[in-house]
Amino acid sequence: MSQSGPQVADAPATGTPSRTSGPTPPDPTTPGTLARVRGLIGGGGPAVALVVLIAFFSIATPNFFSVSNASSLLSQLSILLVISIGLTFVILLGSLDLSVEGVMASSSLVFVLLASNDRNDLSLGFIALIAGVLTGSLFGLLNGVLHVYLRVPSFMVTLGTGAIGVGLATVLFGGRAPRLMDDGLRGLGFGNFGIFPKLALIAILVLVVALLVQKFTRVGRYGYAIGGDEPVVRLSGVNVERYKVLSFVLAGTGSGIAGVMAAMQLGVGDVSIGAGFQFTAITAVVLGGTALVGGIGGVGKTLVGAAIITVLANGLILLGVNPYVQISVQGLVIVVAVVATGWSLRKRVRAIK
Amino acid sequence: MTDTVLEVRNLRKEFRGVVALDDISFELRRHEVVGLIGENGAGKSTLLKVLSGIYKPDGGEILREGKKVTFRTAAESAAAGIGMVHQEQSLVTSISVAENIFLGVEGAGVSAGVYRWGTLRTLAQEQLDKIGSPISPKTKVEHLSFAERQMVELAKALSVEERADSEPVIVLDEPTSVLEGDELEVLFDQIDRLRKFASIVFVSHRLDEVLRVSDRVYVFKDGQCVAVRDRSEVDVDELHRLMVGRESTAEFYHEAKQTAVVDQPVLMQVTGLGKTKAFEDVNFTLRAGEVVGITGVLGSGREELSRVLFGAEGFDQGSITLGGKSIGLRSPVEAVRAGIGYIPAERRIEGIAQGLSVQENIFLADPSTVSAGPFLKPRAAAAAADEWIRKLKIKTPNRGTNISNLSGGNQQKAVLAKWLTSPRLKVLILDHPTRGLDVGAKEDVYGFIRELCARGIGVILLADTLEETIALSHTILVMRDGRVQQTFDAHPGNKPRPVDLVEGMV
Amino acid sequence: MAILTPTRPRQAAASGVTVKDRIIAVFPLLVLIVLVLLVLTQQPNFLSLASVRGLLESMAPILLLAIGQTFVILTGGIDLSFAVVSSLSTVLLALWLPDMGVGALILVPILACLTGVLTGTVVAFAQIPSFIVSLGAMGLWTGVALTLSSASTIRISANYDVIGWVTDMRIAGLPVSALLAILLAILISVAIRVLNRGRALHTMGLAENALLMSGNPTRAYRILAFALCGLFSGLAGVVLASSQYSGGPSLGDTLMLPAIAAVVIGGNAITGGVGGPLKTLVGALIIVVLRVGLNAIGIDPAYEQIIYGAVIIGAVVLTIDRSRLGIVK
Repeated sequence: MSQSGPQVADAPATGTPSRTSGPTPPDPTTPGTLARVRGLIGGGGPAVALVVLIAFFSIATPNFFSVSNASSLLSQLSILLVISIGLTFVILLGSLDLSVEGVMASSSLVFVLLASNDRNDLSLGFIALIAGVLTGSLFGLLNGVLHVYLRVPSFMVTLGTGAIGVGLATVLFGGRAPRLMDDGLRGLGFGNFGIFPKLALIAILVLVVALLVQKFTRVGRYGYAIGGDEPVVRLSGVNVERYKVLSFVLAGTGSGIAGVMAAMQLGVGDVSIGAGFQFTAITAVVLGGTALVGGIGGVGKTLVGAAIITVLANGLILLGVNPYVQISVQGLVIVVAVVATGWSLRKRVRAIK
Repeated sequence: MTDTVLEVRNLRKEFRGVVALDDISFELRRHEVVGLIGENGAGKSTLLKVLSGIYKPDGGEILREGKKVTFRTAAESAAAGIGMVHQEQSLVTSISVAENIFLGVEGAGVSAGVYRWGTLRTLAQEQLDKIGSPISPKTKVEHLSFAERQMVELAKALSVEERADSEPVIVLDEPTSVLEGDELEVLFDQIDRLRKFASIVFVSHRLDEVLRVSDRVYVFKDGQCVAVRDRSEVDVDELHRLMVGRESTAEFYHEAKQTAVVDQPVLMQVTGLGKTKAFEDVNFTLRAGEVVGITGVLGSGREELSRVLFGAEGFDQGSITLGGKSIGLRSPVEAVRAGIGYIPAERRIEGIAQGLSVQENIFLADPSTVSAGPFLKPRAAAAAADEWIRKLKIKTPNRGTNISNLSGGNQQKAVLAKWLTSPRLKVLILDHPTRGLDVGAKEDVYGFIRELCARGIGVILLADTLEETIALSHTILVMRDGRVQQTFDAHPGNKPRPVDLVEGMV
Repeated sequence: MAILTPTRPRQAAASGVTVKDRIIAVFPLLVLIVLVLLVLTQQPNFLSLASVRGLLESMAPILLLAIGQTFVILTGGIDLSFAVVSSLSTVLLALWLPDMGVGALILVPILACLTGVLTGTVVAFAQIPSFIVSLGAMGLWTGVALTLSSASTIRISANYDVIGWVTDMRIAGLPVSALLAILLAILISVAIRVLNRGRALHTMGLAENALLMSGNPTRAYRILAFALCGLFSGLAGVVLASSQYSGGPSLGDTLMLPAIAAVVIGGNAITGGVGGPLKTLVGALIIVVLRVGLNAIGIDPAYEQIIYGAVIIGAVVLTIDRSRLGIVK
């Protein structure tokens, strides 16, 4: 379909006598910095909840509000944030990506096995890192193509490709976790830079890039539109398929980066390196305020959601609460958040599968 | 340059054997406003959808500035300079006004793949300035009222002006239905401004508005163009007569079979019924064998009323009694249990169960007559299904055929059979029962409605046309803006004229 | 927005059954036969009693889970929590059998059924897509199972006999667990045929709106589908606990993919309305024969996951009814 060229600016002036093409009046409501930030992270509920949680744990546990715990919080947050950011692009479409854990497993193993390791003689340096990330992108591409062009619901496709990812990782794994021997590569994500965990720096970089993609590119903007009302976007001549596939590629890339980050952190490639992240990441996205129906939300909001989950997990452990309860709570959070956003849309005659 | 900017020749469009457009020819001249009127199903929207590239015609051709064109997509139609303001709104609510106006055709608003927000908003502001709208291009559409969205929609349609090489054609599909007072004046001012450089097709059911703005008026009926009139030579009454057309053929509607309803027991009593934002204070009684027709334009509340009476939507005021007992109608399940049936307008989604056989559809509501306890009696069911197929003249290879493969008329008969087979049935609500059917199938349906009455079943009818309403009903309620404006007695020999009803409707 | 998404008519032959439908109906059975023949060439004693017994034993929990999932998939939904519910069931059995004996055997499937009722009720009343609700339920019950078991395997310390017969008992040399599961599949198929509302769940998947507007309690039907799925997951839990002599918080989790694969490769369309437990039986047989067959031709079990993934996607691509999908999300 044609992306009609840039004719708008110099279109022929087809006799429009009454047109007042004067300068646009300045927008009276130029938002301040605070308002901008609020717009980005969604203000209101989630952000307040995050502040309240931090305040609560600071008072309730002696160790929460300390430099060392802050540093450990940041590094816990980093990998989750990168996955959740990728996932946000897919959830904005109203779709879902359930392949996170499989993709992370594959990308961590591809990365470690191509870098200097204790299994083979390869030592490709940065190429290994890029290959690890691209493994994620390729899975994303596969997800997107199967979902969009074969018209299979995304959760079903990604359930399958997730299994394929785990399987691929299992084959590569070969019974024992290969260790990452390239200290230079590992050093990119392992340890601290000043008081900042290096993983957190990577996550911040990803966050900034994602914010720019969301605000200034077609894949970012059309994501909102497609998630909001796909038929109308299609009617407008937008190549909906292309932008949906690209969104899945972004999600896969996020999982790929996360797999590489986890391998740097742990120093190994592992089949179960992503275990538990799938669920937590969806919860983070939903909790931040990105609706599973699509069209509403954004990467900034996901930052808040991921932070809430991380603070909650860390604080509850400091309080001595059974960590398994948190999985249950996350499950409930997903359902409650979705029910709350969808409650007003209920009708007597409405078929939702 | 020719003086015809858009021409349609011998256009034909069928849907599963039903002719929606039959040899339509239509011409739009330079800087002209052409009105397009017709009842529901006359073919107006089908024509617009062909013009906007949503439907592909089965025959005929479209000429733009004298050159033959084919529109495979809506984008191609827009690229040819045809801007459409849809009746059902086509804005994405989750993004801003500016993004909506230029969705898919951002032009200078996106360069090298990067959004230039300043440029995009300035370009959008130019479009909004054209209609003098104070809406900010940064606003998200979900924060706008319906009327404001209509204005954005208009601004979006106007943006084809800059994109196309030729002068634009603007199609306004029922643009006035959600506008009021000042907004309406703004729209008419815009049309006056636009006609200096554009050509306009104006579709509306408000005949006075059509006459006010149009230079010429095309009248559609049953998929055909039945008249073209200059504004100077026609008035509202004549337009209406042309639109309704058919001389009342008593035979077509089986009027001879209509029986008078005198002293029959009251089946259903509706008192002070109201639903927020839909209708209020609706009162009527339905007697055994009576047809109560309800008319009104889109937005009059009659559709909601019919769905409330079947429990498909809730009500918040008043009461409904059936056979003397008050019923809550919390769901269609309760309605059917109480003896109410419903033939929906959305036949393909709510009427037939696609993928099931004709027989399964017939026993979808009440299999009790062919069951022993919870078990189906296969032979009895087969025999009963064959009997209904014969009685209602349902054309189907056999009772096991997937109902999706039947024509619309035969599907509708199967839906009718579904209710007739239930011994509990007391009241049947018919929501546009003849929509999309061919003439023969319509006539069959009219016959069945008469037979229902003879069986003592009460019928609530929302018909496609005023003629249908008048010919089939014993009592007619005219609704406007959620209230019953007038009630007419329409017994044989005492039928009101369509014009009488129209007064209450608009 | 009716104008923007014109519902496309289903293109089908006059008889109502397309060639594609016919192929899809027979295809799984052909696959099964070809697979069995292939394995026979590698393992001539594949159809011996001992081999078939092993095959059926490993099939029993998969088949039970898959039958349960079939009910939900028939309505056009999915229950992603079903395997986790079977894990939870094994934990509850291991915890309660020693004290409660037969009571535990009755109580656990009922509780499993109630998890389905809960999921179904949220789906039906809040009108939220089932994959999301059941994803949440999956997390909820995972957490409960981990908490109750302290994340470890619990050996059944007493009263194992109450469920032991499920694994030990043989009829004509074949395991009673699989025979009972097959019997259930047959009974349900019969019920679908002879009951006057037997095809209610199919109709949910094909035309829920028409079903509701004909006065049928569609919410109740939806909850029923999830309740049955929960019940069968509980029964699968009983079989698992019996064969493992223990309960574990993730004992059934690995069966999620093979069970879903069994449903879809058997020819049940995930768009709903097409299928039944007998198709699922064929699907479950394909999955277990495939597993054994891979071993026989010397393929590393590490590839198993890849094959499940590919089978799920491939089968869904083949069986999905795209004419009934509006926007695919």
